[in-house]
Amino acid sequence: MCSHTVGVVARRLEEAGLVTVSISLIREHTAKIKPPRALWVPFPFGLPVGHPDDVAEQRAVLDAVFGLLDAPEFPVLRDFAGDLGEGETGTSIQAAAVEPSAVALPLADEVTTMRRYWEQWSERAGRTAVGVSGVTPVKFRGVVRFLEAFVGGEERRLPEQGDTPLPLFIRYCADDLRVLYLEARLVMKPGETQADTQRWFWGGTALGAFLRTLRDVMNDSDDELMRGCAYGIAR
Amino acid sequence: MPRLAALPQIQRNMLLTRAVVMNDGAPRAGLAGPLSGATVAIVTSAGIHCRGDRPFGREDPTFRVIPSGAGAADLLQSHSSLAFDKTAFIRDVNVVFPIDRLAELVAEKRIGRVGPRHYSVMGALHDVSAMGDETAPALAGRLVEDGVDVVLLTPT
Repeated sequence: MCSHTVGVVARRLEEAGLVTVSISLIREHTAKIKPPRALWVPFPFGLPVGHPDDVAEQRAVLDAVFGLLDAPEFPVLRDFAGDLGEGETGTSIQAAAVEPSAVALPLADEVTTMRRYWEQWSERAGRTAVGVSGVTPVKFRGVVRFLEAFVGGEERRLPEQGDTPLPLFIRYCADDLRVLYLEARLVMKPGETQADTQRWFWGGTALGAFLRTLRDVMNDSDDELMRGCAYGIAR
Repeated sequence: MPRLAALPQIQRNMLLTRAVVMNDGAPRAGLAGPLSGATVAIVTSAGIHCRGDRPFGREDPTFRVIPSGAGAADLLQSHSSLAFDKTAFIRDVNVVFPIDRLAELVAEKRIGRVGPRHYSVMGALHDVSAMGDETAPALAGRLVEDGVDVVLLTPT
């Protein structure tokens, strides 16, 4: 897990003469690895420095983690005060926890609808986290056709795949579609909790339903990398 | 993260049974001066990289370089785990990559300066041997070359 990796890297950096301070999200792992100085925080996976746009909380975390430099004990593992926020589970809600409901649009049409909301987000925020596949969002209907062909047993290629192995490229495409939906949702339902957004995604969209099918097809493959990447599509 | 007891059983069991490196003590380096004069850089295991960089693959122990001038619009996240919700990163990269918060600390003279580069790897690795034996020493060399004194490490 990520806190494990952080612990391993922190020790190596310190051996090389660099002073390290680390944040941990899994206290039990960090207590075993013993990085030189670590602060365990009680936040959900994905936000070790604090909640989005909560500058005061993020500053408090940084104050605490840099404060470890003055700790008398060594190695040091301290706890940041606080607990999960209301409605937070600590981890992202997965497909298996949500019952899919009937969806209103075919997937390609739904993607087109979401892209219109996404364009609003992109313009308003001045950025987008869509991009790991290298396919521009105006071509996402083509991504849908590519993924649907794969599920149907057809071999197709998109030029953006380049030399990327097919299982990874499929995951990057799925990631980009998912992120486009999440950014669209920030426009559709501003202020919605992350948990409710995930319930909507897995329970109320054609993409959520399709990703389950895509995962199942990948899991049926003889290719170990394909099966491994399925775990990053839907759980 | 919440305490493990708060997680769904399947995830709690997965974390508790994960092979984790165990150590008795820790290596210790010394800071030559106060933090207010130190150069700080971030190393994150959040699988972040600049747009146009090769995304992280599965069980990928390599690293990516993020120039310290990069802003939120330049960054993508190709981490393979579904355990975390990317919505937080989408809204505010500082949740895991606190570049704006570090800039504030520099402006307030709480830290000396930010190094010329930050670095990113992908966590959620089942086997951390390549990370420990190859990637981390390579990162150490680069950070020393960058003149970095203090490294802030963040997971995701």
